[in-house]
Amino acid sequence: MMRPERNPAIVWRLEKKHYDEAWEAARNDEEDFDDKGVLTLMIKGGIHQLNLVGAEIWTRIDGTKDDAAIAAEMAELFGWEPGETVEAVRAFLEGIASRGWVTLS
Amino acid sequence: MTITHLASPVTVNWGITARCNFVCSHCFSRLDQAPELSSEDARRVVDILADHSVMFLNYGTGEPLLRKDLFELTAYATAKGLKVTMNSNGSLIDEAAADRIRDAGFHGVGISIDSADPATHDAFRRMPGSFDKAVRAARLLRERGVPLSISSVICKINHTGFPELVSLARSFGAHTIDLHNFKCSGMGGLNKDQLDLSPDEWKAFYESAVPMRESVTDIDIAFDDPILSLLGAEDKAALVSGSVCGKLSLYVKPDGEITPCGFIPITIGHILRDDFGTMWESSPVLDHLRHKSATGKCSGCSKFSACLGGCTARALAVYGSLEAPDPHCWAEEAEK
Ligand code: SF4
Repeated sequence: MMRPERNPAIVWRLEKKHYDEAWEAARNDEEDFDDKGVLTLMIKGGIHQLNLVGAEIWTRIDGTKDDAAIAAEMAELFGWEPGETVEAVRAFLEGIASRGWVTLS
Repeated sequence: MTITHLASPVTVNWGITARCNFVCSHCFSRLDQAPELSSEDARRVVDILADHSVMFLNYGTGEPLLRKDLFELTAYATAKGLKVTMNSNGSLIDEAAADRIRDAGFHGVGISIDSADPATHDAFRRMPGSFDKAVRAARLLRERGVPLSISSVICKINHTGFPELVSLARSFGAHTIDLHNFKCSGMGGLNKDQLDLSPDEWKAFYESAVPMRESVTDIDIAFDDPILSLLGAEDKAALVSGSVCGKLSLYVKPDGEITPCGFIPITIGHILRDDFGTMWESSPVLDHLRHKSATGKCSGCSKFSACLGGCTARALAVYGSLEAPDPHCWAEEAEK
């Protein structure tokens, strides 16, 4: 079990219009719904974007929810199988932790 | 993931005033004394930027501290979630001003220091005593915990002396030193022959500055130059292909007109009269900057996809063309 906390030095925003468009594409089962950057992060002069799935995980990180809680919400949101979702969420969190975007406790 | 989907600029550079108490040799705005917006209109600007989720608001152009409403406006912008920074010559930052800067919630302040040698800095800034005031400002800000960066314009006076500038910035506790490349706009255009480096000098500068950036860990050395692609340095430094103007940032002039950056004098609209989101999405000028085509030696250059012809402002200032190769580029012909 891991509980992620965002690096407070990161400044981020949701790209609302693109986020809505990505959701529209996801609802229409378009395969490329995950190709778009919908959330922008700035850290130490670097800029990065997350796709829809990444953004939905990122916005659920509040310092209190652990990986299982986030995965449960993601599984419900996207209609995914819960077991696989936990693995995917964990892999994502470990990936962004290695970049210094979150700490895991 | 490639940065392609920004619904609005990440950063807006705002020339909040055109007034300045200095007459620096390189100033791009000194020759364009636009009237400034009222306090009420300035708050409307903040509302528009906040509504469009702009992340960073940076006051540049003129000396921001000459605006009487600076601290109120900053507190207003900060309360709306904007991260506010400013560039200042430091001359007006005494203890009381430093307290107000901290209290207004500035996300950071950049103090201009162009040489570690006081006399050289003072001559460049054409203001005796300006080095000592800038140093005082840097120390007062750090004593109050305000995040500090040092801004230096690289040109003839300092292109070999930048390691001393880095040491000086480090001694203040600055988190970053921004080594801006010289732009031949405004006064910089008039003084280009005395101040700008030759392409070979730019090459020599970057060949020593880039390795230093890689090896120094206690302070960030930042450049903003797309022709760094020539050294294969784009992987870590560049946020987008080519220059950031019109892709990550916009510039708002003191009177509210919007240009892609402070050095490109092409108005694309007005912050209070035109729809900001539409301008960002559909301006033909921004579209042009985002989809430049290669001309001259850029045609066939293997760096073009990262460099996009380099700094558009310099090409425009020197050759009168948005498409021309960057005059600082040292490639003899297309890099294969
Ligand atoms: S030739 Fe053009 S594309 Fe190539 S490095 Fe120089 S400015 Fe950039």
